[in-house]
Amino acid sequence: MNKFAVLQFYGLLRREVLEHRNLFVGAPSVLALLILVATAWVATQIDQSQLAEGLEFVSMLFDGLSPFDMAPWIIPLAIPFYLTLYVCSVIYLINTLYQDRKEMSVLFWQSMPVSNLQTVLSKIVAIVFVAPVFYVLIMFAMYLIGMIWLTILGISNEVDLVGIGWLFLAAIVSLVLIYISAVVTSLWLLPSIGWLLLFSAFAKKTPLLWAGGVFILAGFFEDFIFGTQYLANWVASRTSDPNQYLILEFQKVFERVFNYDMFFGIMVGSILIVGAVFMRRFTD
Amino acid sequence: MKDLILRNRYTLLLATLAVYMGVLVAEGMVTGREARIIEYENPYFDFNLNEFEEYRERRNEDEDEDDGISVRFEDTGDV
Repeated sequence: MNKFAVLQFYGLLRREVLEHRNLFVGAPSVLALLILVATAWVATQIDQSQLAEGLEFVSMLFDGLSPFDMAPWIIPLAIPFYLTLYVCSVIYLINTLYQDRKEMSVLFWQSMPVSNLQTVLSKIVAIVFVAPVFYVLIMFAMYLIGMIWLTILGISNEVDLVGIGWLFLAAIVSLVLIYISAVVTSLWLLPSIGWLLLFSAFAKKTPLLWAGGVFILAGFFEDFIFGTQYLANWVASRTSDPNQYLILEFQKVFERVFNYDMFFGIMVGSILIVGAVFMRRFTD
Repeated sequence: MKDLILRNRYTLLLATLAVYMGVLVAEGMVTGREARIIEYENPYFDFNLNEFEEYRERRNEDEDEDDGISVRFEDTGDV
């Protein structure tokens, strides 16, 4: 691939991260800090001997067990991070193209040697592949602090810490699963990403209201005129079952990524993304 | 055609949504797509929304029976 094009795209991605560092880095950092503070507060409320007993139990539980088998038990710890990533993604996607037009920076970027397609693709890559990296790194830092704290606690209470090492390995494996899950979920929800980007590029004011309002109206008119509910069924069929995109085992990755529903979703999402790319020519 | 679609932002939005809806409806008709109920199967725990539905219905039935008893009791009191 052309080296200049790669550098261009890297520059666009870097711009996205720098302009939205609150969503990419700030939000998960604050969440991790809150979780650590809450955990430390809870730990101070528990008797030291009980804490040592609990630690011994956890150490025995994980001792010698495969991190790949135990990783799914640690994944629920990531639920607050998943929810934060989801909310931040919606905020990012609905504002990103709208903000460019509002502050007129769209004119600057269109004067640069980057196409509208590259700009929109950089935003999609930023939210699908780059944002989860920051979330996983921050979770890793949180787990590391937790492990150091558990180690100090174990040493001071003379607890066998071999199992804690296994727990840490399981936590690392769970982070890989979490990253893959986040990427697969984003690809699965590509039609939603396309929808939000389309209205972010379209709306002169309140893009979120436009995105929500037009969706409700489209469903209403479909039901009213044709008596069908394909739009509602489509959305329900893709959002109601987390088993379609969450990954708890590495063996499931291929099955989740390479299937008809995933490809059809990417195809339908691409229609909306193409719409968003063309919509970007209207800069007023 | 291209000029018509790209005339302004509204025509472009309508065209995009028309294509999007057209593909969705066509695929829905061909595959008979229906909304899925949450059925969370994994080797670690089971989660099935149908069980909650059954539980809710059972509880409603129980509440109805309880209401029936209370009404009879109140009726007796009024008499």
